[in-house]
Amino acid sequence: MKLAIFKTLMIGVLCALFSMPVMAQEDALKGLDGFIDFGDLSATYGEPKISINIGGTLLQFVSMMSEEGDPETSEILSQLKGVRVFGYPIVDDASVAKQKFGEVKNTLKSKGWEPVVQVNEENEQVLIYMKMNGTAMEGMTVMTVDDEEVMFINIIGKLDPKQLGKVMNGFDVHIDDAIGLD
Amino acid sequence: MNEYDEKWEEQINALLDGELSSADADLLKAEASDDRELARAIIEAYQLQKAMDAIRVERAPDSLRKRLRAIPRQQRPAPVFRILQPRWVMALAAIPLVVFSVSLMQPEEPSAQEIAKARQDLAIAFAYLDKAGQFTGQEIESTVGNTMSDAIAGSVIRNIKSQNETSKENEA
Repeated sequence: MKLAIFKTLMIGVLCALFSMPVMAQEDALKGLDGFIDFGDLSATYGEPKISINIGGTLLQFVSMMSEEGDPETSEILSQLKGVRVFGYPIVDDASVAKQKFGEVKNTLKSKGWEPVVQVNEENEQVLIYMKMNGTAMEGMTVMTVDDEEVMFINIIGKLDPKQLGKVMNGFDVHIDDAIGLD
Repeated sequence: MNEYDEKWEEQINALLDGELSSADADLLKAEASDDRELARAIIEAYQLQKAMDAIRVERAPDSLRKRLRAIPRQQRPAPVFRILQPRWVMALAAIPLVVFSVSLMQPEEPSAQEIAKARQDLAIAFAYLDKAGQFTGQEIESTVGNTMSDAIAGSVIRNIKSQNETSKENEA
């Protein structure tokens, strides 16, 4: 009788132990309210031009590293839980990207995201949505598409748009070459 | 048994145990001389006590007592092979699994290179936000007001310009 109970307990413990590493390896961001799944456009546009996925742990370390030199940036980063950017180059047809725009837009609406900006020009579309919980921001999603590229940006956590400039000050990197602003 | 019986039973037991006072004993005997049932109860109790006293408790032989004492020890499992019982084997097998699982669950401290890469990635991510902000600046202003416009398309753009100027100065 005791052995049977012990076996049952051991099976339960082993199952839990096996599932924990799997859970730990999963993208923890997926469970957060500010997370948005953009899907995968690589079948149409090939490998993404840019793919950034920074989780909470790494953000906390970056925040800690900035604590002494730039406490303001550190404070801003400490409130972020994740930063995700996916961009694909558009070679021929932007229709698939625009269709994905529509799908993500519907997802955002159904999940209670609030549209902040929506620009629909002939050659460029921009959508900015925010997820609010009361007065607290839980996430921001920015999507842009033009004839050359489609970009999906998902900020998870609290970020006051006014603070973006301060964050930029905190990073001594040359971004113009990276994203072709010039 | 009624209250009457209980009273005489206590008296009879006390009499046979020698615990009844002489006054109470005389009183009980006087009562028994008039009460045949009480007298019979006293006699039967006396006879029962005599019979119980006659029973001798035999002491068991030493050899039998030793064998009886040895029985619990003989029924115990041999301690030498206890570690091989299934539950211990399972528990021992689980130890490396537990260590492995816990090590996987620990947040691994990123290297300096990973942090530097993250900083650059963050800058790029925010730069893309700015790029979107530049494009939507006028739309933002007309949609949500000057505050947000300044936030996204103002301060950030100024910041990008500042970085551009810095990079150009460095190149010069």
